[in-house]
Amino acid sequence: MLDPGVMGDLPHLLLVDDERSIREPLAVYLGKQGFRVTQAGDAEGARSRLAAYAIDLAIIDIMMPGEDGLSLCRHIAATSDVPVILLTARAEETDRIVGLEMGADDYVVKPFSPRELATRVKVILRRTQGGGTRQHAPETGSYAFAGWVLKSGERALVDREGVSVPLSTGEFNLLLALVTRPRQVLTRDQLLDLTQGREAAAFDRAIDNQVSRLRRKIEADAKAPDIIKTVWGGGYTLAAEVTRL
Amino acid sequence: MTVLSRLWPRKLAGQIALLIALALFVAQAINFTLLLRERRFFALAQITGPAATRFADAIERSAQGRPPVADRGRVRLVSANPVPATLPREPEVEKSLRSGLAESGVQVGRIVTGLSPLRVDSPLLRRLPVSRRRFLMRSADELVIAVERPGLGWLVQRMPWGAHDIGLVWRLAGQTAILFVIVLLPVLWAVRRLSRPLRDLTAAAERFGPGEPVAPVAVSGPDDVAALITAFNGLRLRVTAMLDEKDRMLGAIGHDLRTPLAALRVRIESVEDEADRLRMIDTIADMNRTLDDILSLARLGRPSEPLTEVDLAALVDAVVEDFRDLGAPVSFEDIDRLRMRLRPALMRRAVRNLIENAVKYGEVAEVSLRAEQHAVAIVVADRGPGIPADRMGDVFDPFTRLETSRNRETGGIGLGLALARAIVREAGGEVVLANRPEGGLAATITLRR
Repeated sequence: MLDPGVMGDLPHLLLVDDERSIREPLAVYLGKQGFRVTQAGDAEGARSRLAAYAIDLAIIDIMMPGEDGLSLCRHIAATSDVPVILLTARAEETDRIVGLEMGADDYVVKPFSPRELATRVKVILRRTQGGGTRQHAPETGSYAFAGWVLKSGERALVDREGVSVPLSTGEFNLLLALVTRPRQVLTRDQLLDLTQGREAAAFDRAIDNQVSRLRRKIEADAKAPDIIKTVWGGGYTLAAEVTRL
Repeated sequence: MTVLSRLWPRKLAGQIALLIALALFVAQAINFTLLLRERRFFALAQITGPAATRFADAIERSAQGRPPVADRGRVRLVSANPVPATLPREPEVEKSLRSGLAESGVQVGRIVTGLSPLRVDSPLLRRLPVSRRRFLMRSADELVIAVERPGLGWLVQRMPWGAHDIGLVWRLAGQTAILFVIVLLPVLWAVRRLSRPLRDLTAAAERFGPGEPVAPVAVSGPDDVAALITAFNGLRLRVTAMLDEKDRMLGAIGHDLRTPLAALRVRIESVEDEADRLRMIDTIADMNRTLDDILSLARLGRPSEPLTEVDLAALVDAVVEDFRDLGAPVSFEDIDRLRMRLRPALMRRAVRNLIENAVKYGEVAEVSLRAEQHAVAIVVADRGPGIPADRMGDVFDPFTRLETSRNRETGGIGLGLALARAIVREAGGEVVLANRPEGGLAATITLRR
């Protein structure tokens, strides 16, 4: 067994799922990945553990008997700064959006890859603990920039005429990373890091390729880009005002 | 028959109006026939009574040796039959007159009558007022009655005879028309009360479809129609409840199947053998995709996604790009923006399923998009073995797979295609499969613009 000193240094996750068949092996896996995991079988148990421990991040199943995961998520968002990842068995977009508006930071759809879940946990912890100010659900909603609207729920860009321009998963993730950090210079490594944890896709796809595809879709002249600019020796930046809608 | 059926009105109000018109006309015709018979009988009595008296009178006079011409000269004595045989006769008058004379105990020979048009200068009209004269000119004939007195000659009388009822048909039609209008107004009002709620009901039944907002039809009209509308509203609620129940059940099935899949997926992570683990992960991903397809197919009748203006070229491009990100050999000939109104997530799914099949069974997918004036075609071509012509229709049936398929992987070709076709049909299009002359299969989605 690990001694309390070491335990205290590990990020402390709260795993809430009524399904033992998922919860227990997942707790074991996350434990192996370097997290301290506390389990709860329902919302009530989760509340008492939240009060008892300094939880760094909560992973919550949406479909639970009694108080459901969305309600618990709302409670956590209202009473604390603990980030939340939702586990959902329904892939419908509406559930995703609803979940994220409840104050969740991310979600995974069952059956999910435990590795991907661990990656996302790390991304969120890095974001919240690395001194950065925490914004709830930074990757949801719609963003208006340079005449375009990026709708994260539908993974589509909408132009001035209201015509939706669907994006591939890779393009969407990249654009979302850029749009949520306007006027920041993002290196290729940063962009890879920001875009990879999302879905299985786009791991080894060159960022440059995605950028040039995006430019063809949104720039007036892809050869002389005004929106996604290349920073010499650095990476890319979104050179436009972004309004969150 | 065709003429009749063309004249037969199709609407309730028209049919009822026509039936009432026909019934009224028949009833009026019967009425008028009876009336006519009575008038004739009355006219006969009016004519033959006085005529018989005058004849009897004249015969009596001549028996007394006085000249037979009396009564201001109405009865004359001539030597030969004065009625030309060409004139139409009035047998009833003859019969009635004979019996009238017999009653008076007068024996006569033949009785002949003749009808001829009344002339303006006819002596019959001489002492009459103008209006009466006009009326007679319009409606009456001149009746000649000749009674033979054997051996003595013929006694003759002339008189106006209102034989034909000119304008009777017109009066019949006119009266019918008045009745028709009087009867028709309340009937049409009643029919409107019937047909308007029926029309609303029809419209509601036609509109009633998946995903439509449910507003009950306003209950109006007579009791029977109101009962029908109430029953329809109830039926609609029950159908909606059943569909909702189906959705809930599918959601529950999805949840119940995904939970064990998720548990498996988590446990697989602890499998030491890398190759084994990856294969298991693939299997679970396949099972999950099939589950998704089943649920989508079952839910397609009630799409939750709204119709959106979408650039179809970008949509196909995005799907192709997702495949290429995963390293699948998919090519796409890009075209200019192509604005369409559809459900983007579902259409992505349809295109993805076709490309998935092409990659799985045909090695590569060559995707192209053709825009014509009224139609758009998304063609997904592969370089596989194609499909035997006689099995072309079978592959669309859910859950069927070709035994000849050399493919060993899981995930049915049938379900993916069935879902793609269902999605495209819901969008008003069609999916067609064809073997390409150069080898391989071409799956084409056609959509109306």
